[in-house]
Amino acid sequence: MTAVTLPLNRTTRVHLPMMPLGLVVALFLPALAAQTPLLNEPHALILTEACVLAIAGLSLNVLLGYAGQISLGQYAFVGVGAFTTGLVTGVPDLRLPWLVGLIASAGAGGVIALLVGLPALRLRGLYLAVVTISVAYAASESLFRVDRIGGGSAGKVVPPPYFGSHALSTSVDALTIGLVLLVLLLQVDVNLVRSRLGRAFRVVKADESVAASFGVDVARYKLTAFVLSGAIAGIAGCLDGTAFGTVTGQSFDYGHALALLVIVVLGGLGSRTGIVIAAFLTSIYPPLLVAIFGDGVRGWDQTVNGMVLILTVAFQPRGFAGAFRDAAEHRRMRAGGAPPLPPTRPNLPDLGRPVGMPAPRRTQPGTPVLEAHGVNVRFGGLQAVDGAGLRVDRGTIVALMGPNGAGKTTMFNAISGALAPDAGSVHFLGEDVSALPPHQRAARGMGRTFQLIGLAKDQSVYENLLIAQHLAAPYGVLSALTTVGSRRWERELRTRADQTLEGLGFGRFRDTPVSRLSHGQQRIVEIGCCLVTSPELVMLDEPSAGMSPAASEDLASTLIDIRDKLDRTVLLIEHNVPLVLGTADELYVMDAGRVIANGEPLDVVQRPEVVRAYLGEVSA
Amino acid sequence: MLQVLAIGLISAGIYALFAVGVVLVYRGTKVLTFAGGEVGTAALYVTAFLVTTHGMPWFVGALVAVVLAAGLGAVFELGLVRWSRDADPVVTSILTVALSATIFATEINLYGNNPTTLKTPVAVGSGIDVDGVIVSPIQIAAIVVAGLLGFGLQAFLRRTDFGLAILAAADDSTATRLVGVRVSRIRVVLWASSFALAAIAALLVEPTIGVITPGYASTLYLGGLAAAVIGGLDSLPGAVVGATVLGLAQSFADRYLKDLGLSGLDYVVTLALLLVVLLVRSYAPELRKRLTSPVEVTA
Repeated sequence: MTAVTLPLNRTTRVHLPMMPLGLVVALFLPALAAQTPLLNEPHALILTEACVLAIAGLSLNVLLGYAGQISLGQYAFVGVGAFTTGLVTGVPDLRLPWLVGLIASAGAGGVIALLVGLPALRLRGLYLAVVTISVAYAASESLFRVDRIGGGSAGKVVPPPYFGSHALSTSVDALTIGLVLLVLLLQVDVNLVRSRLGRAFRVVKADESVAASFGVDVARYKLTAFVLSGAIAGIAGCLDGTAFGTVTGQSFDYGHALALLVIVVLGGLGSRTGIVIAAFLTSIYPPLLVAIFGDGVRGWDQTVNGMVLILTVAFQPRGFAGAFRDAAEHRRMRAGGAPPLPPTRPNLPDLGRPVGMPAPRRTQPGTPVLEAHGVNVRFGGLQAVDGAGLRVDRGTIVALMGPNGAGKTTMFNAISGALAPDAGSVHFLGEDVSALPPHQRAARGMGRTFQLIGLAKDQSVYENLLIAQHLAAPYGVLSALTTVGSRRWERELRTRADQTLEGLGFGRFRDTPVSRLSHGQQRIVEIGCCLVTSPELVMLDEPSAGMSPAASEDLASTLIDIRDKLDRTVLLIEHNVPLVLGTADELYVMDAGRVIANGEPLDVVQRPEVVRAYLGEVSA
Repeated sequence: MLQVLAIGLISAGIYALFAVGVVLVYRGTKVLTFAGGEVGTAALYVTAFLVTTHGMPWFVGALVAVVLAAGLGAVFELGLVRWSRDADPVVTSILTVALSATIFATEINLYGNNPTTLKTPVAVGSGIDVDGVIVSPIQIAAIVVAGLLGFGLQAFLRRTDFGLAILAAADDSTATRLVGVRVSRIRVVLWASSFALAAIAALLVEPTIGVITPGYASTLYLGGLAAAVIGGLDSLPGAVVGATVLGLAQSFADRYLKDLGLSGLDYVVTLALLLVVLLVRSYAPELRKRLTSPVEVTA
């Protein structure tokens, strides 16, 4: 395979050489500029502060921009990093090197963030906001004021790093360190976004149930986001301590927390470039104004920042980056008309099981892939599923019908693990999976779609095909952040995504956000995402809902392809009787939470109890 | 013991006053407002400006400050919240963080760190002696007002047409609009009264310390926010109970932590209580389920 067929390397080509180049600039530019009148010590300190803010901004962006977890207390982690550096390097007898302080600050930030993240598994939105803001207060008003931690009013001293026997104690040195850290962390951020880790964050942000259906362990990835974000914030704190030489509790007050929020919102959530630019702008303009207008304007920048934040949140919540994207979109809309429809009737490629996933225990044709017994689900006073059970044999298409509210989707959720039933068991490929969370059922070969389209809708079609292959590239967090050991996996994912895209006939929608597609097109992409890891059981929740009759016919042939060409098993919820009769080998009908009939489809739909469930009692 | 109890209840009164404002807006709009603390502090500066600098009577100055705070709430709704591109409650909540930060920065710029004093009608340090803790009349007033507001407003919401309209608008604003309620007017009233309540709370707190600094009321407001969350966010009596629990927890913790040589850990106590309550509440349904009907695992 040649590199030409791997179009995604496009972006890699732009970013990879940037890092060495950036490092060279970071290492030599401050020292060179210091020889000219352009950069003096106070200037260097301001720019170092900008680096601190930029790195802290990147850390908040990981949490809020990528993983969608609110944190209003992020600056507390910067404080944790700063004090940790002071505590670790300040131990009198050890004289530990600065680098140990740096590593310890990242570690401490990560550990504290993990503690804050644990409740986040259960809390969302505003509750998380209150908790994180309480963390900020607990840190800045209580903990950092404890003498043993914060060193009292004198603060904690942070000794400078040494290069050989030469102390790097000037602000120009600190700026050099700051820029090097910033360049390295930007590269880490690039790697993160393009890895399975970044994709898992994005789908967790978009929809947690969808994430779990692709095999993402939602809890684990939320915690990973907190730890990673805390560690990066800790590094920012270490840099802050290094730049000033001392750390005091006052360095982590309201004003700093605000500045952080301003740059992330103004720069645009999810946009690293926007955030870095905003960090430098908001750091440079206040001293510049003081230099021009005199001391009278000192401090007013904070008021201005607050107002800018108000206006940005209210009127352009996606910041600079969002505004640029909107403008680009506007131009594109004016330039070209709507994209033409793709050829219908997808021709699905048989991709086989990805090498990264364990091969499922395949059963003999005719033996059960799925067996559910006595499933009970109660929502408050409503018995949604009442002792229902079903059996799906390998190589068949089994349909589940029933009037609205019969409990079909609830049954589906109990099977896929999206909800825990009050009673009942689910066996998959001969194994009792009743106690397993949804992502582990996905890993065993259960694929599913959702009634309301289970995709990350703000992401492109191609991106969704990659997200869906979460389980197929089992590399760890460190590989994700460094790209060491992840490339061969990524190559395979992209090949499979390309083949699926081509098979679906969606090549021209490759980079189109899913939300721009029609409902029927989204449904096809969703089925493509479900099939891209070649699951043993394909569970489809009302795939034909909202489709035109012609599209439904194509869907029927797709279902038959999944069974006959791909040799997979299908369980589907459907209301479309012709589709069911045309494809299903077996039909289950549910009403009021119970299975009222099952058997050969044509026979089942004519049974009086089934007719009654749909049309009601016919009075003579 | 009595002393610890008295200190706890004094804090509880303050937290409850702030918490009522938080819950009021939350019930009506699903927005959590973070701005009450700085709105309260700003009201104190306005009062000090009128009373200390211009010699107006305290009650006149305080009244003007409360009216201005209500006005700010109305302007905030009419000028910003209403026009927000993203009408999500979380986004509006962040908007209140931004508002709070703006007011805070402005206070610093105008008053710096010079403490501002405000002469109040009740002398600091006079009042009933409860086992060595002086409880001033204004502190008792704070506790009484908080309790009355908590339970009185609840009755108002439940019993009057306007109150029911507020609750309905929060649940489904479109449907409420369709039955002929002017939801937009309700929102203005809610924001105005929430900000006014924050101002009243700050005015009732201030005499116990007597000196105003930027961010003064925000640290107390956090207690109110926590109390509201502990009380379940949408119950006014719950907020009062939450405030009582928080106030007492802080006062008792402080008493025992002092023996260990630790002080000033109020915010750590707040955080811990918040986490415990939220986690217990979120796991409770599952635990109950597990205890009453264990999942049958068939072989």
